[in-house]
Amino acid sequence: MAKKILLIEDEEIMLNLLQRKLTQENYEVLIARDGQEGLEVMEKELPDLVLLDIIMPKKGGFEVMEEMGKIPKLKNIPVIIVSNSGQPVELDRARKLGAKDWLIKTEFDPQEVIDKVVKQIGK
Amino acid sequence: MNSGKRKNNKKERVTPKEFSEKKLNFTKITEGKKERTEEEELKQARNALLNILEDTEEARKIAVEERNKTLTIIQNFADGILVFDEKNNLELINPLAEEFLGVKKEEIIQKNISELSETPKFKHLIKLLDSFPEGKAIKSIFREELPLRENLFLEITTLPLIMESNLKGTLTILHNVTREKNIEKMKTEFVSISAHQLRTPLSAVKWTIRMILDGDVGEISNEQRDLLQKTYLSNERMINLINDLLNVTRIEEGKLLYEPKLAQLEDIVWSVAGNFKQEIKRKKIDFKFKKPSQALPKVKVDQEKIKLAVENLIDNAIRYTFPKGKVEISFRCPDKVIEFKVKDSGVGIPKDKQERIFTKFFRGPNVIRMETEGTGLGLYTTKNIIEAHKGKIWFESEEGKGTTFYFALPTEE
Repeated sequence: MAKKILLIEDEEIMLNLLQRKLTQENYEVLIARDGQEGLEVMEKELPDLVLLDIIMPKKGGFEVMEEMGKIPKLKNIPVIIVSNSGQPVELDRARKLGAKDWLIKTEFDPQEVIDKVVKQIGK
Repeated sequence: MNSGKRKNNKKERVTPKEFSEKKLNFTKITEGKKERTEEEELKQARNALLNILEDTEEARKIAVEERNKTLTIIQNFADGILVFDEKNNLELINPLAEEFLGVKKEEIIQKNISELSETPKFKHLIKLLDSFPEGKAIKSIFREELPLRENLFLEITTLPLIMESNLKGTLTILHNVTREKNIEKMKTEFVSISAHQLRTPLSAVKWTIRMILDGDVGEISNEQRDLLQKTYLSNERMINLINDLLNVTRIEEGKLLYEPKLAQLEDIVWSVAGNFKQEIKRKKIDFKFKKPSQALPKVKVDQEKIKLAVENLIDNAIRYTFPKGKVEISFRCPDKVIEFKVKDSGVGIPKDKQERIFTKFFRGPNVIRMETEGTGLGLYTTKNIIEAHKGKIWFESEEGKGTTFYFALPTEE
């Protein structure tokens, strides 16, 4: 069975590109357009991995991670941050909240996102 | 009024010189006419003397008036003014300085600088005055910014008062730069926000083109590939430019030093230099990294930022050196500092442009001809980083011969 990846991203084009790329790699892709929706989908679907944006409407990436930490069945789902920014303060905060990896969109190509996903959960 | 009065008096006035001359004439005249009396002579003398006294009084009045005028100017000056005498006692303070520092003149006047440094309101200022390069004896003009309290930023200028080559004390001027500071902050925030906003669409463009190039959305012709590859590179350039802008604003926001940790500078430099291997090979540059024979004392640094500073310096050295030129990196460890040096045989910095080399957005005319790309932010950022680490940066350069950049960081004792 294909592994489930939840994409939480508010920007339509990025969502589109990543969804396409991940589907090509035979992952099952779920999408949410803000943090709030992300948490709801997560509880219902229990994905194998979450790709999480930081700056989003309603609920940002950090808040999503904080809430995941309080919910036992979500606590251990690996998270990779995909953000536009990557200041040391932010990286540190994400690491403390348990993020496995961090990607700055302008510095990575979509293929490298796939590589990071594979590294976490395999094909 | 005064000058009018002086004019009216002129006819009767006899200066001491005129007086003696007149007296001579008078004697000559009287040689023949003995009827001139002594009484008249005395009268003349008395008038002359009175005139002299009147002159002196007037001169005194003018002096007092001048003094009052000067004092009024100082009292009403748009900058805060403090004067310390040669023994470092506070001789004068104007109302604006009282207001800035939140002190009352009566409580502090004539007190010594050492006594004043104990009062909480003066503490910050005195600490600053004390940090002058030459110690307490201030010999040259000194300028520093002092954030005194919420919404009050002062630029402190101190200069020696020298009269006939004797030091008569020091003059301290407190200039309010709060408005400028606020504008600067707004500008920084503006750049920061726009840079973040700009990155979002740029990453979308980057990923889209990449996926088309990778054939993820179907096959493309060679011609299409060629065009898209160029577009991808243009987009990368834009990303780099935005990143540079972001780095600058982050530094200006004071977000710069993030958890400084002890590190070996030579290791950091070595790892940064590694990133340039390909470029060094491509340009056939004779690159030397003189590793110190023994480990240097550690320095406390924000690794990410120091890497950025070193990267900028090495990048410049390689970029502005012609193929087959030389670039050499070395270290020195004089008293309590570690000195980094990168020497190149590149195009150099024109003498008349050297003063502006660390200015934001400045690029030398000779390097613009050589490399059109570049934001002029590298050295500005580097200087900010080094100074945030309480270090110093400087250079030597000759156009056409090469440039050597140095920076020194304090070691951890």
